[in-house]
Amino acid sequence: MTVEPFIGLSALLFAIGAIGVLVRRNAIVVFMCVELMLNACNLSFVTFARAHGNLDGQVAAFFVMVVAAAEVVVGLAIIVSIFRTRRSASVDDASLLKL
Amino acid sequence: MTAVTVVFAAMGLVALVSAFLVVTSDQIIHAALWLVVTLGAVAGLYVLLAAELVAWVQVLIYMGSVVVLLLFALMLTRTPTGPGSATVTRNQPLATVVAGATTVALGAVMWAGFGGEVIDEDEVRVGTAARLGDAIFRTWVLPFEVLSVVLLAALVGAIVLTRRGER
Amino acid sequence: MSAVSVQAIVGAAPSPIEAPDVDYATISPLLIILGAAVLGVLVEAFVPRAYRFVTQIAVAVVGVVAAFVATVVVGAGLDTVDGEVTGRGGPTAMGSLSVDGPAVVTWAMLLFFGLLGVLLFAERRLDGGLSAFTSQASTPPGSADERHATRLRIEHSEVFPLAMFALGGMMFFASANDLLGMFVALEVLSLPLYLMCGLARRRRLLSQEAAMKYFLLGAFSSAFFLYGIAMVYGYAGSFGLAEISTAVSSQIGGQNLLLAGMALILVGLLFKVAAVPFHAWTPDVYQGAPTPVTAFMAAGTKAAAFVAMLRIFFVAFGGARWDWAPAVWAIAIITMLFGAIASIAQTDVKRMLAYSSIAHAGFLLVGMAGLTSGDGVTSVSAVLFYLVAYGAAAIGAFAVVTLVRDAGGETTHLGRWAGLGKESPVLAVAFTIFLLSFAGIPLTGGFISKWSVFAAAWDGGAWPLVVVGVVASALALFFYIRVVVLLFFAPPQGDGPTVAVPSPLTWSVVAITVAVTIVLGVLPGPLLDLVQQAGAFVR
Repeated sequence: MTVEPFIGLSALLFAIGAIGVLVRRNAIVVFMCVELMLNACNLSFVTFARAHGNLDGQVAAFFVMVVAAAEVVVGLAIIVSIFRTRRSASVDDASLLKL
Repeated sequence: MTAVTVVFAAMGLVALVSAFLVVTSDQIIHAALWLVVTLGAVAGLYVLLAAELVAWVQVLIYMGSVVVLLLFALMLTRTPTGPGSATVTRNQPLATVVAGATTVALGAVMWAGFGGEVIDEDEVRVGTAARLGDAIFRTWVLPFEVLSVVLLAALVGAIVLTRRGER
Repeated sequence: MSAVSVQAIVGAAPSPIEAPDVDYATISPLLIILGAAVLGVLVEAFVPRAYRFVTQIAVAVVGVVAAFVATVVVGAGLDTVDGEVTGRGGPTAMGSLSVDGPAVVTWAMLLFFGLLGVLLFAERRLDGGLSAFTSQASTPPGSADERHATRLRIEHSEVFPLAMFALGGMMFFASANDLLGMFVALEVLSLPLYLMCGLARRRRLLSQEAAMKYFLLGAFSSAFFLYGIAMVYGYAGSFGLAEISTAVSSQIGGQNLLLAGMALILVGLLFKVAAVPFHAWTPDVYQGAPTPVTAFMAAGTKAAAFVAMLRIFFVAFGGARWDWAPAVWAIAIITMLFGAIASIAQTDVKRMLAYSSIAHAGFLLVGMAGLTSGDGVTSVSAVLFYLVAYGAAAIGAFAVVTLVRDAGGETTHLGRWAGLGKESPVLAVAFTIFLLSFAGIPLTGGFISKWSVFAAAWDGGAWPLVVVGVVASALALFFYIRVVVLLFFAPPQGDGPTVAVPSPLTWSVVAITVAVTIVLGVLPGPLLDLVQQAGAFVR
């Protein structure tokens, strides 16, 4: 089996995640889509690690997971603090600043 | 058609469909649960690619804690979770164009870029905990230590930002 | 599990891991800053509340000064390396860090910005004895909880360890020698900044919104950065900049993979340095974040991200220069023009400074188009000089913003600043000096830095960029002069602006940044020598 199907799948997952970030309105869902993108990156890392026969890509996937966990913590803290002050988790309601 | 191909096709299809449902699902809770399915399918692909430890970590950290955290956030913010709760913004057409172009470009580039390199089935370096540990604690020791700092910073910052009352 | 596999695991276990080879002395500045951050967390846990704020300041200041001294010692001890290009120092810590001339200069610069940032964070005289950071970030503004906390003078001082974490991340980012380390560093510097953006005491909603926007767009862009890293890893089979460089010059593998990887990495970095068209977050975040955080972020993030960008593109992708240079040219031109034109329309001081920061990202990109080595002004030395001059002026300008206040906190509407020259001539003159430096008027640091990036670009054959740069500077000059006229000659609105009397902390920040801005303009020699002796990146 060649590596292309894995890479193609990773590209598709990345693009689906990117669409989600652009179209979804709820901050938590936007966040899930970012996780999807990071997962697509990890799939590429692991595939290339397999193709090149070294473990660096797997180490990278491992690191990305840790970073993603930290990112989730930070993101949810921001979302929760916004919700507590104004009771909404919608990206569009945050509109004091002009886009 | 080998067994590997069949498993890949099945897992890949599950991952794609569930990822699509994460993005389109009308209810936030469903989106979170479909995310679990995507992550599980990707973990299966890791096993296929001989990345044992990464697959397990994916199951434990991503499916086990990240998604649970997301669900907790949904509860904490009491976000409406019924049908229609997860509406979409108006820049849908733009996003579709952008993302379509991205997929085509990325896919084409990667396809062309890795012209037919075959995974050698005989020469497998399985990513066991021992091997990864060896790599992490020698070559990658400094980034790894700094990574622990990321977690500490995120932890402290999250407490600061969400604390209420006077302790 | 079968007995055989257990046997295999047990059999494999006795071979011990060889200890990694880390030269702790060379990376001591980074370790000191991260140590100070961890110590700050412990202080938060164990020191009684009454002494906590002061202890935190002491830990942060001592940490930064100690790290600065260590940086100077490390810098003085770097060996000269004569390869294709002359450089000093080299990779350390198992190849994760490259402690070379530019890295050491950047460390010193970042620590200097960090010290100024800490001084601004520590200011408590402006807002009735309280710092600019709220202790109740997730209560509605003006709620009973918050009033209670304000009355009791309850304060949380975690911003100091968070700032130290961010500073450590910036230092790592500027010196990381592989792409994976850069990704980790990018997150270490970004996550604390996202959080600190949401902590403003005044205008809480604006501040939280800035944090949210910065976070979502930041996470989005770091996903692009990461996908770029994955592609380059697929191309070269390694994360190390040296290995990638070898692969690029021997042109193994598919070039498309490399091109796409470079493009995505560039997108991720351009987002961090706020270049058009990835600048959308900048005005909102600069406006919404607490002003001391904005000051620290504007100077520090830009410096770290630019040095990292030069390192990636000169060291790893140097052999593919003609593939990425056109993109950098185009973005530099759009960024300079957009930044200059958009700032003209601004009515808010913080947004205006944000657009000015965008325009400066464009000028810095011009510097990137210069020569990588040679006797004259190289790209690296020009950009380093520019970053010092811009960072000092930016921190100073935001420090002035914290001082012009009314009953609701800082008053950032430009119209309200009319007549500042009568109210507080010293402050108005200081702000004028910063604006003139942004505009690139002679006798300020901004002039020398613009001259050096233009000289570097001219030597590198990028004369169209220089022409556009001069035009953009002229446009911006028009705007800055208008603000200066407003400060000194326009009639004040109503009572005019009031200037709060700060503690010596903020005054010393303003004084130091004014001094640096003028000294760099009048006597640029020593710093120019320093950045030129720093030499090229060593991989």
